[in-house]
Amino acid sequence: MDLLPSPEQTEIIDSSAAFLRDRLPLLRTRELFDAPGGVDEVAWAEAAELGWFGLGLPEDQGGVGGGLADEALLFREIGRSLATGPFLSTVLAARVAAFGGNAELAASIVGGQRVGLAMPIELAIVTADGLVDGALQLLDTDGDLVLVATPEAAMLIEVAALSEVESVPCYDPAVRLHRATARGVRPLMTVAAATDAVERRGHVLAAAMLTGITEAVRDLASEHAKNRIQFDRPIGVHQAVKHPCANMAVQAQIALAQTLFAALTVDEDREDAELHALSAHLVSARAAYKSAVATVQVLGGIGFSFEHDAHLYVKRSRVLSLLFGGTDHQLDRLLALPKSL
Amino acid sequence: MDLAFSKEDDEFRDEVRTWLAQNAPRTIDRPRSGPAMREFDLAWQRKQYEAGWAGIAWPEAYGGRGLPLLQQLIWQEEYGRTGMLPIDTRFVGLSHAGPTLISRANEDQKSFHLPRILRGEVLWCQGFSEPEAGSDLASLRTRAEIDGDQLVVTGQKMWTSFATIADWQELLVRTNPDVPKHKGITWVICDMHSPGIEVRPIHTMDGGEDFAEVFYDEVRIPLTNVVGAIDNGWSVAMSTLSFERGTAFTINQVQLSMSVDRLIEIAGSRRSVNGKPVIADEALARRLAAARADSAALRALTYLGISKNTRSTEPGPEGSMMKLHYAELAKEVFELALEILGPRSLAMPQDEVETDWIDRHLTNFSVSIGGGTSEIQRNIIAERVLGLPR
Repeated sequence: MDLLPSPEQTEIIDSSAAFLRDRLPLLRTRELFDAPGGVDEVAWAEAAELGWFGLGLPEDQGGVGGGLADEALLFREIGRSLATGPFLSTVLAARVAAFGGNAELAASIVGGQRVGLAMPIELAIVTADGLVDGALQLLDTDGDLVLVATPEAAMLIEVAALSEVESVPCYDPAVRLHRATARGVRPLMTVAAATDAVERRGHVLAAAMLTGITEAVRDLASEHAKNRIQFDRPIGVHQAVKHPCANMAVQAQIALAQTLFAALTVDEDREDAELHALSAHLVSARAAYKSAVATVQVLGGIGFSFEHDAHLYVKRSRVLSLLFGGTDHQLDRLLALPKSL
Repeated sequence: MDLAFSKEDDEFRDEVRTWLAQNAPRTIDRPRSGPAMREFDLAWQRKQYEAGWAGIAWPEAYGGRGLPLLQQLIWQEEYGRTGMLPIDTRFVGLSHAGPTLISRANEDQKSFHLPRILRGEVLWCQGFSEPEAGSDLASLRTRAEIDGDQLVVTGQKMWTSFATIADWQELLVRTNPDVPKHKGITWVICDMHSPGIEVRPIHTMDGGEDFAEVFYDEVRIPLTNVVGAIDNGWSVAMSTLSFERGTAFTINQVQLSMSVDRLIEIAGSRRSVNGKPVIADEALARRLAAARADSAALRALTYLGISKNTRSTEPGPEGSMMKLHYAELAKEVFELALEILGPRSLAMPQDEVETDWIDRHLTNFSVSIGGGTSEIQRNIIAERVLGLPR
């Protein structure tokens, strides 16, 4: 039992953090707010070359052969950086293509073909015949394909098969949003959760991004608390400021621990993997959102400005907590699971 | 990174589980107060000692097992699963005073006291808090004057658990009032049977009388009972905190997870005031689910802390974080229990299962106060982990 990264995993953390700092800093995210696709094409291609989109895919399916724990460490850095683009849905889509038997498509996605995420407005989105039917929101979709992931199965559908696709401004300015309707759309391919638990992996990777966000705002708020002088003293001497920062530190550690634990239950194919994946998404979503909200308050007036980055963390944490059914649905699923001890 | 335990560790777990299943006493048989409770707890300690299970983490030289951190974790997890109390009258001896002696006492003190604790011959209590020294422990005033080869102690301690039935006390006294407050404190072993000690039980909101005030009227303690040096007691007191290296809350954590799972069952089988199953109340059901996620995370936090401590001798901040998270979660879980019981939660006693929920609800008001309040834990985390100014 060991929840600390190995030397190889530390290398994943260091190199991905360095790449994101260098190629996709927050300044770049801001520059891309108004760009049509919202993605830095060059950096995206470089990320593909680094193997990001096949990191957790088995080698015989064209991937790097790492575990979900490796991917979680990468996504924690992506979350921390607020990098723009469909990282999560692209990584999951590569699995759907690979386990769905389309090696060519899998190779294309691993090589950098982007796949957006289709978020159903209502949970019942797949008919008994396996068709996708209902209202959708598409996140970060600028290519031909989107991913639909439910607890039972994950599927790829063609954007061209959807109706009434319209671009709408998103709550998170760094996320591209479309509304769309699926009218009995047959997926290009469907992979049952029993074959590969794609949605479960999605919970863990969303949790990893939320963990990175929690750590980022913890550091942002703490630095401000140390450096902002009012009444001739740093505001961090006051418990009304100090304690929210401490809560962020605790929440960040809880989110990190549960996310890594969950990733390993998936990698080790344990029976309680579902319980831990849902728990990871839930505790990390709360950690990130509450910490980001508290960070705006610690920052005071500047935290309310568009110019400061604090609001971007608030917004991204809400987007990520809504993925894969959202908090209430995840709680309902968690409650229905058998006990783990 | 992995979750699997080694084959040896799995075998160790099987051995522990089997032995506990055959030998652990039932909590329901345990007397709730006085000498009978003392005798029950000491008998259980003797049983563990005789079977070679006492002092899992203690040095073999003093009768312990000297086992590595992962096996301590396994012992605690399996102990938790039996449902036995996480803390009983042996707590201070085994988890506080004993570890302090291991790290700071001299050879004579260690070889006299440690085996007696492990063999189940004596109980220890703590004399730290005072009426005017709670969170600000270092402002303590209980005075000790040196008189020849003795300390003469006069003053008052507060919140001493099991003082009425303890044999020894880890006692913090003021030996020098003329230096900064942390520098004039001495850690001394006090014989609770000494003349001049008076113990008055404190009646607590959960109906218990486990705590007491202790009054000292010119109590004479040999200077050979000083641990560390005169005026160096603050550093001795602080040295204990790192001893269990992340395993201190494991029994509580396991039992809290079990409580959440049990509450989910109860909520499914009981009716609410509106005649529907309690679990049909979505808000309450979701709080239960959130508690399940949080108890999973508490275990993950324990494992992360232990992973760090296996590699480093410098304990991380996980201790304070675990205490904070545990305290908040425990209060939430037992509040939930009372909400699930609804109007039935008023009648005491009821059947044994429900009485337990009420007791734990009331007792757990203390988890965010004892051993450093949650507010003090947050100060520690903010200042030592995040580097915020004092």
